[in-house]
Order: sequence, then C-alpha cells, then structure tokens
Amino acid sequence: MADRLTLTIIIGALGLLFIVVELVRQRRLEEQYSLLWLGTALGLVVLSVSREMWDRLALSIGISYPPTALFVAGFVAMMMILLHFSTVVSRLARQNREAAQQIGLLQWKLQELEKRIEETPTHE
Amino acid sequence: MNNILPANKRLLVIIPALNEEASLARVIANIKAAAPWADVLVIDDGSLDATARVAEAAGARVVTLPYNLGIGAAVQTGFLFARDHDYDFTVQVDGDGQHDPREIDVILKPILAGEADVAAGSRYIEDRGYITPWLRRVGIVVLAALISLLVRRRVTDPTSGFRASNRRAIEYCARHYPSDYPEPESVVEFARAGLRLREVPVTMNPRYGGQSSITPFRSFYYMVKVTLAIIIDLLRHTSKA
Repeated sequence: MADRLTLTIIIGALGLLFIVVELVRQRRLEEQYSLLWLGTALGLVVLSVSREMWDRLALSIGISYPPTALFVAGFVAMMMILLHFSTVVSRLARQNREAAQQIGLLQWKLQELEKRIEETPTHE
Repeated sequence: MNNILPANKRLLVIIPALNEEASLARVIANIKAAAPWADVLVIDDGSLDATARVAEAAGARVVTLPYNLGIGAAVQTGFLFARDHDYDFTVQVDGDGQHDPREIDVILKPILAGEADVAAGSRYIEDRGYITPWLRRVGIVVLAALISLLVRRRVTDPTSGFRASNRRAIEYCARHYPSDYPEPESVVEFARAGLRLREVPVTMNPRYGGQSSITPFRSFYYMVKVTLAIIIDLLRHTSKA
C-alpha cells in the first residue's frame, strides 16, 4: 500500500512539475510566480521518496499516520501559494489604481493643451 | 461673497462624483455663487450617466477616471491635481448636495488661521436638526468613540466628507489616502502623521437626487472594514506628513 502511495504522489508531483515548466516555457506563467509551484512539486517528490525521514518528521510533530503529514504539507503549500497570490493581486490593484488616476489627470492636461493650441493664432 | 483667501492663494474645490447628473449642476452653481474665487474640480469616477458633461457645462474642470476606482481613490485624484497644480488649499464637497457650499468659509476658517491642517464639518457638534436613521447613528457613535480613543481627542463625525485641507495635508493625501470608505480611517492616519484635525459645526442637507450608495449589507461591511483598517493602521509605521 505504502509503495503504491509513493508512486501515486511521485506521478502527481512530476505531472505538476511538467505542467508548470511547460507554462513557463510558453511564457504563459512568469518565472517569479512559478517558483512556489516548482518548490511544492519538488518538495512532494523528495518527501515521498525519502520515506524514513518523512515518517520520523511526521511522528515528531504529532501525526501518527505519516501519509496524512504529506497532505498536511500539501495543504500548507497551497495556503502559502494562495497568500502569495493575494499579495500579488493587492499590488496589481494598487498599481492599477495609480495608473488610472494618472490617465485621468493626463487626459485633462491633454485637453487643456489642445484647447490652448486651438485658441493660439497661427503665425502665417 | 467676499474672497476670504489671502492674496495669491488658490483654493480648489474637489467633488468626487459617481452618477450624480441629477444634482451636480445645482451643487456646482451653489459653489460658484458661494465662492466664486475658487476653482472647481469634479472627479468623474467612472459614471455611466452624463456626470462629466453636466459638470463641464456648469463650468467645472473635469477629470474623468477610465473606470470606477471608489470614493477614496477619486478624492485622492483631486489631491494629486491640487498638488501638481500648486493649489494652497482644498475643500472636498460631496456631489449629492449634502454639503452646503455657503459653509466653505466656515470649514476654511481654522485652516486660514493656521490652527489646523485639516478641518472637517461635523453634523453632531451642535444639534441643527440633521436627522440620521438610528442604526446609522449608532454606527457613527461607535466609530466616533473608537476613533476619539485612538487619536486621544474628541471626534464627533468621523464619516464627514466635507473637509478643508492646507498644503501640508494636500501633499500627505496625494501620497497616502485610504481607498474605499476613506473618511474615518483618514482621521486616524492624519493624527498619526502629525496633521492637526479640527471639527467645526455645519448643517447638512438630505441629498438632492440620485441614489445613495448605502444599503444594510454595505453598512455592515463599512463598519467591519473601517474598524479593521483603523486597527491595522495602528500596527503600521506611519510616515510623518
């Protein structure tokens, strides 16, 4: 059973790894945003291969059935990725707001300049 | 109306407006009558109606935002305009007719006297017959108590958007201004930035027309968001103005 679980997780993690690399390669995902995904995939592979270390780690943090710890780790990784993206979204929202404010202000300036040009008599 | 500004000083009246075509012409006309020496700037916050056209026809400068950014960001656009075009003072007036432009003098007075950096009109210092629905009144009282405690002085109407600012406050607000439901949060930020806030009694009217943005759910969200924002602000290192 345990070996079958290891195999399943390795296949899943490798699949994730492949998809993330492929998205970065096709420039549909920026490198900086792929790091957490790559880290998660690699971490899953390493942990599921080194069973002994994993079992000790699980027991030491009070999880008596080691495979559960794998899901806990995956869950924590998901949370970190989601939190990371919340900060990214917040930053984008702020930059977006500042850009929109500047568009409004610049548009006003442009219209003022156009009015002034129309009013200026041409020197011919 | 006499110009109460010192020589060579300029005042910008900032009106954030979202779908206020019904009331804006009257608001601007009243401002021009009460303070003909002021420049009027309408920030059209992504309105779907004729807000921008109405404002322009009434003789205001109009900055149109490409899409709705929320009241805080709209007002901040006004502060950016004031900063970039070297205005000495600003007054914020709502586009719905709640604030009486004849009282621009009243809220400017402590600013011109150098007694405050920001002056806010308050409905609740003196009872002038302004009727607030009781639940909203409870909300305002709770907020006012919380904010008074935090800034260590009595604030009666932290939700008031009828405010005057001097150059120091303009520069601060152009850099830092909360994005939605900004008024109560900004009261705390001003205190922490070392800006002097003064409240003055004013009379407010019911809105002239159009739709209020307040619904029960939004009121609840308002209280939660504002309280959270105020508490988070306290955990921040605030830069001095």
